[in-house]
Amino acid sequence: MAPIIKVRNLEKCFGKLYVLRGLDLDVEVGEVLVVIGRSGSGKSTFLRCLNFLEEPTAGTIEIDGVVIPAGEPGREHRAHIQQIRAKTGMVFQHFNLFPHMTALGNVIEGPMTVKGMSRGQATEIGERLLGWVGLMDKRDEYPARLSGGQQQRVAIARALAMEPKIMLFDEPTSALDPELIGEVLDVMKRLAREGMTMIVVTHEMGFAREVAHRIIFMDDGVWVEEGTPKEMFEHPQDPRTKDFLRHIL
Amino acid sequence: MSSTSTVVVAQPSAEAQQNIACQRAKVRGFVIKLIVVWLGIFVTLGVVFNLLRFDVNFMFDRLDFIIEGIEYTLIVSAAGITVAIILALIGALGRLSRNPIANAVATFYVSFIRGTPLLVQVYVWYLGLPQIGQQLEAIGLAGAQKLLTLPAIPAGVLALGVCYGAYMTETFRAGIQSIRKGQTEAAYSVGMTPSQTMRRIILPQALRVVIPPIGNDFVAMIKDSSLVSVMGVWELTYRATKMGRRYFRSLETLTVAAIVYWVMCIVLQALQARLEAHMGRGERK
Repeated sequence: MAPIIKVRNLEKCFGKLYVLRGLDLDVEVGEVLVVIGRSGSGKSTFLRCLNFLEEPTAGTIEIDGVVIPAGEPGREHRAHIQQIRAKTGMVFQHFNLFPHMTALGNVIEGPMTVKGMSRGQATEIGERLLGWVGLMDKRDEYPARLSGGQQQRVAIARALAMEPKIMLFDEPTSALDPELIGEVLDVMKRLAREGMTMIVVTHEMGFAREVAHRIIFMDDGVWVEEGTPKEMFEHPQDPRTKDFLRHIL
Repeated sequence: MSSTSTVVVAQPSAEAQQNIACQRAKVRGFVIKLIVVWLGIFVTLGVVFNLLRFDVNFMFDRLDFIIEGIEYTLIVSAAGITVAIILALIGALGRLSRNPIANAVATFYVSFIRGTPLLVQVYVWYLGLPQIGQQLEAIGLAGAQKLLTLPAIPAGVLALGVCYGAYMTETFRAGIQSIRKGQTEAAYSVGMTPSQTMRRIILPQALRVVIPPIGNDFVAMIKDSSLVSVMGVWELTYRATKMGRRYFRSLETLTVAAIVYWVMCIVLQALQARLEAHMGRGERK
């Protein structure tokens, strides 16, 4: 089977800052990939290039057959980006729930506004997903009244409501109080076990050990080493990898 | 000295309570002194006005005529703020736009209108527009002069609306930009287009942010509406000056007008405070 994500020669500069320095990546359907690295290594930037929240400076990104080279002209580019965003869902470090809508409102907003679904249809999907993340009883609460862990689970439901093929997680638990991290990781593990293709930028090594198929270590905008969790944790090869893992394990 | 007690401490100690009561008494004392000073100011003004043979009876006799002006003041201000809000929304989107025409026009509008006095703008609408109409008529555009010689109230509404619209444009723009980038990113990642994002996510939130400044602008416009008196709109200031000049009692008539403006502003500010409290009820503090 062809990889669902293909990245070739991805480069990203912010003005003079050379952040992503030529990245290649293949991700298979159903694969759970965990990206680790020091802060400033470019992991979030890489993730955000996949759904074009950041515009790549050079290189090509292909997601489920939609190919976007970096220098593409405007109109086609915008259409392609919309196609890619329809296939991907993203969960952010700071949740980014819409504060003027209830939990259910947040989840059904995408299906209604983007897919044109009726409120009834969208609510069915929304309630099912809120139930799946364990928050049916909070469906009518506003985000300000939810804990961080609850907000993040709503955010996951919101992303899933668009039926993406790939879920992107940008440090989903980094902004959470320790006692709330578990509930979010549980939802993510269940998602992984159900076969979702996931790319997760995180420091939660326990999660990686349990459900990741592959861990990839990034430093200074390049891949340094990759392997299965067992390989990476027990026999890291590169000195930079060893050094990094020593600090986080 | 510590006591090993597992009882939850329910109330502050006697010493703490005494200190709290003392603080409260101090605040009360301050407020009472404030009120005494205000009363003192009013009494002094009353004495001074008496000495100057301020004609209070005159004020009460002519009250009706002047107070009728409130209606015009409110109409012109309400219509003006509506025009201003519409222009501000369009202007803000223009200022934020990547379309060079929209951006250039909006920026010019804001800079020019904010850079010229409102009184000058009022005169342009009142005196300048008919002159343009006359010239257009001369070069063959039939009916231009009639069209461009606006009656007083519409001219006043346009003058206030266009002027305040420029200031409000910047308020709206700042309000839109104050919404965290993460909101836009979340909307995009769910698949929304920029215009859907603006309509469903950004503007509703920006609205809550800009309502206090708009409230302030409305109160300010009530007072700036006095400038349209030069166009002949029979609002408060016009009536006060007209009556004052006729009977040589300008101080009395203007005092009436001033008090009416003051009371209107106090009432509006109280309503605004209520509105802000109501809108903030869902916020976590």
